[in-house]
Amino acid sequence: MWAAFQALFAAIRADRAAALLLLMSPVIYAGFYPSAYTDEVVSRAPVVVVDHDRTAASRNLIIKVSGAQQAEIVAYLPAAAEAENWMADGRAVAALIIPRGFGEEIARGTAGTVLLTGHGGYLLRASSALGGIGVALGQTGRDAAREQARAAGPPAPPALMLIPRPLFNTREGYGAAVFPGVAFVIIHQSLLLGLALLAGTAREQMGRGLRLTGAQLAGIALAAGVIGMLEVGWFVGMVFWWHDYPRAAAPLLDVVMGAILFVAATVAAALALASLFKTRERPLQLLLAVSLPLFFLAGLSWPAEATPTLLVIAARLFPTSSGLEMMVGLNQMGGSLKDYWPAALNLGLLTLLFGTVATWRWVSGKDVPPAS
Amino acid sequence: MTERTGFRASFARECRFIARSPWDLAVVTWIPLLLCGMIAWQLSGGVIRELPVLLVAQDESAISRDLAIRIEAAPGLRLAGTVPDLASAQQLIRSHRAHAALLVPRETAERTLQGQAPVTLYFNASYPAAAAAIQREFGAVIDAANARQATDRIAPVLPQGSVRPAPVRAVIAIAWNAPASQEFQLVSLLHPALLHLIFMLAVVSAFGRELRDGSIGPWAPNLAGLAGKAAPYLAVFTGWAMLAIFWLAGVRGWHFAGSPLVLLTGYAMMYLAYLGVTLLMVGGTRTLSQSLSMTGLYAGASFAFAGAIFPLEQASAFARIWGNALPYTHFARLLARTWVAPGSGTALAGPILAMLAIALVTAIPGTLLYLRAARDPGSWGRR
Repeated sequence: MWAAFQALFAAIRADRAAALLLLMSPVIYAGFYPSAYTDEVVSRAPVVVVDHDRTAASRNLIIKVSGAQQAEIVAYLPAAAEAENWMADGRAVAALIIPRGFGEEIARGTAGTVLLTGHGGYLLRASSALGGIGVALGQTGRDAAREQARAAGPPAPPALMLIPRPLFNTREGYGAAVFPGVAFVIIHQSLLLGLALLAGTAREQMGRGLRLTGAQLAGIALAAGVIGMLEVGWFVGMVFWWHDYPRAAAPLLDVVMGAILFVAATVAAALALASLFKTRERPLQLLLAVSLPLFFLAGLSWPAEATPTLLVIAARLFPTSSGLEMMVGLNQMGGSLKDYWPAALNLGLLTLLFGTVATWRWVSGKDVPPAS
Repeated sequence: MTERTGFRASFARECRFIARSPWDLAVVTWIPLLLCGMIAWQLSGGVIRELPVLLVAQDESAISRDLAIRIEAAPGLRLAGTVPDLASAQQLIRSHRAHAALLVPRETAERTLQGQAPVTLYFNASYPAAAAAIQREFGAVIDAANARQATDRIAPVLPQGSVRPAPVRAVIAIAWNAPASQEFQLVSLLHPALLHLIFMLAVVSAFGRELRDGSIGPWAPNLAGLAGKAAPYLAVFTGWAMLAIFWLAGVRGWHFAGSPLVLLTGYAMMYLAYLGVTLLMVGGTRTLSQSLSMTGLYAGASFAFAGAIFPLEQASAFARIWGNALPYTHFARLLARTWVAPGSGTALAGPILAMLAIALVTAIPGTLLYLRAARDPGSWGRR
């Protein structure tokens, strides 16, 4: 077993592609991937304004909008049709249209109405810009209410006021919501591709019927597990801290236990799948593209409640689904392992299932020379 | 050998190879179908519904009961339970049994008469898609509750005329995607994100394999031969693109505002650009495994760098340069301008020309490098 443990590391040292996948890719991705989300929240989304009213009230509103941090007015246009053209060409993600009579309505004590249009192809940016304009509208509304109050007496404020309070990801950062999950897909893919590439290479060199003893398989699994735990430690301990992603100090023991469960299920699945490959390059060609669906199945960017039930159940066959749920919970939301016992149980069962498959596929019972 | 037979012979040779190799056949057939199908299926709900939320009703009044009924009635929400305090609500949110909790503090009923009684919505911001839907839904719930309170309870006790609509009102519309469907936005972008990656994995394998196996010797390609080898992949993946468009526009009924023909041109241009990058990688490294690893890095994270969801203009300088070097980024821009919205000619030409530029800049040196490797038996067989 110890010999096989060392043999895996020796194989990685001797194989540049395997070293790249198992050791270098977590380092490369840690610097590379979060750079797409450095700003975290949308600001200064391009907005166009059409002012048909041209009164003091409409000018006041436009000044308030231009002060909003989420939106930046990029053009003043004469007609709504032109605003639509600007959005269709991708030059703006939202439009504020102030119809004629807006100021007069307010002066009369009724509601002045504006039209807000967001670009349906850029939902995040549009809703952020509309949110910014909404705040400006609120300010204009308060000014207008004071004006109206002179004539009609003070208005009754709305009964309830909703105060939104984000939990866990308190700055509501985009990268902070996405990357803590993506990191575990990266770890999964690094182990899966690296081990499958080594298995395919070993088969090429030592024959298609290559078999191991139980102790050899255990040694390889243990070595892969050590690499997996180092990767988890790298992301959780260093990368999340470096990018200042939310870390909700769950008990260290729980994080370590959770990581062991995720890595064990991933290594077992990787060894089981690796047993299918007879060619060195094949796993890269076939498995590189599954990252994106694996991430979506884990439910961070599309909730499980909105996913067809059958697919939610099928997703439990992949270590990433329960792994992301549990590790995001432990790392970002400050839960303890017992909050995620279904996910933990799922990972335990996957380790058993894939471990059995891997043993059945790799272990022959008779003694063979050490692999790779 | 004339150019024409070079093309045809290589085309036929590649088709024969794919037909005989089950895994290479898989990369152009059931793998794109499975991965694109899974995404399409997962998001086929369209809008997010029935998210479990909690009510922390410290104020046991008609207002709390009214809010509970409104939460149940909201299409996006489901009342998963009423809990006595915030701590137990947070615990349930942590363990994923609810996404949010609405806190109605003590004496809310009394405070409503003075107005602006605060109610606090605690939501799990670690799950952004659900968080956005919940904030939208609760905004509507509170607005409706306020309207009811104004007419039923407050109007009778306050001076006449003081209950009136807010002085400024906004009518909000989402252009070209009225229900603000995430399905339309995400699936229309995720399908090409998967297709270009699988396409590149397929062509990297096709061109890299010849050098690895030394089969490039007997094949002895010229320019037309390279085109003939790539053509089956371009054809099949254009077919997948048509199917992806048909799924969303035809089966799911998402409006096509611009021209499907322009979008297909964009698909073809995007594939050509990734083909150019492929030739550059394979010709440059002359090693299949390295080229595949580089493909993972180059085409594997396109979705994050394309600026389709999060604006690229706000990312770091590196991310902006990297994003613009990816053909998919320009394709995503084209998609917004010719599928989601009816963009003008110049707005469409920009992304198409950008993809053409990437194709030319990579394919010219890539072809030279690859053909040079084809004449250099010493460089074959690398692993």
